[in-house]
Amino acid sequence: MAIRVLVVEDSQLISGALRILLEANGYEVSVAGTAADAVEAGAALPPSVVLLDLTLPDKDGLWVLGELESRGVHPAVKLAMSGYDDDATRERCIAAGCDELLVKPVPVREILRIIAERTT
Amino acid sequence: MSADERLEAEIAEARRIIGELRDRDSLKTQFLSNISHDLRTPLTAIITHAEILRDGLLGEINPRQSESVRTIITGGRQLLDMIAEILLYAKGSSEPLTVNAGTFSFREVVDQISALNESLVAKKQLDLECSVPGELPLVDGDRDKIMHVLMNLLGNALEFTPPGGRVWVNAMLDRGSSPSPMILVEVGDTGRGIAADHHELIFREFAQVDSSASRGHHGIGLGLTIARRFVELHGGRIWVESELGHGSRFFFTLPCALAPE
Repeated sequence: MAIRVLVVEDSQLISGALRILLEANGYEVSVAGTAADAVEAGAALPPSVVLLDLTLPDKDGLWVLGELESRGVHPAVKLAMSGYDDDATRERCIAAGCDELLVKPVPVREILRIIAERTT
Repeated sequence: MSADERLEAEIAEARRIIGELRDRDSLKTQFLSNISHDLRTPLTAIITHAEILRDGLLGEINPRQSESVRTIITGGRQLLDMIAEILLYAKGSSEPLTVNAGTFSFREVVDQISALNESLVAKKQLDLECSVPGELPLVDGDRDKIMHVLMNLLGNALEFTPPGGRVWVNAMLDRGSSPSPMILVEVGDTGRGIAADHHELIFREFAQVDSSASRGHHGIGLGLTIARRFVELHGGRIWVESELGHGSRFFFTLPCALAPE
């Protein structure tokens, strides 16, 4: 069965690119553009992997992780994405349970490698 | 109207104009910041799509197509660097900068940055020498910001030194600096150099010496302005010694975590 990835990203241009990348590599992809939609989508179809943009229109992206946990959804891989690469943001993501902070635009090979490594 | 009253009216008018200019300046900064954020998003998508094509994830592409796609990626990443620089500048103009205090090894920062520049050094067949003594005290400051400073100076040196040239980074403890010892860093190159009357100008925002010799990354003219802000924020100083045709040597000083003697 295909591994399910939930992409949480408010820009359709970026989520569209990630969808193409992941689907071309055999993943099943769902996309949410807001934190609220992400929680709903994640609860309906629990993902193995979450790719999470930190800046969402309704809430801080990391809020989604706590909400999913409280609904009994525990993705095996949680990757935050941000345009900024600084220690404070990285620490905040790790503290919230993320495996890594990826700086956008994340090199496509890097995304595939990290997901493959952590889901096998 | 008495002379005093006239003077008061003029002062009031001058204050009003200053206030208005400040408002406009802050609007300009806000605009720069907003537009940079908005430019990042589509650019990120463009780069990701181009990488998907480059890696053949949607089917093999021929060598000429691959060359075009690589150009899209290189150009896109350059544009992204420029946007990041504008954002950093806008951020520093709209709010007071703060130092994320800590101590760190300058040698490790130099190693990390030289590793990042390895491919450019090899491509241009430059001779990059880094000399940081092992016994150099730790830097007392903000690692991210100092890394940015060195990345900028070294990036400029590598970019503006013709193939086959020499670029170096030296660091030493300057015990003579007052009131306390500082770490003195030198980033030098055998590039085309900078005329004396431009030594101050290059640190000014948006300054470009001329289009061919501009020392800002890709010619935006903000890199050295930001570097100066970051160094001065640490109580250090940054300057250049150079003459046209004889390379450049950039220097900056940093506070260090030295145990009192």
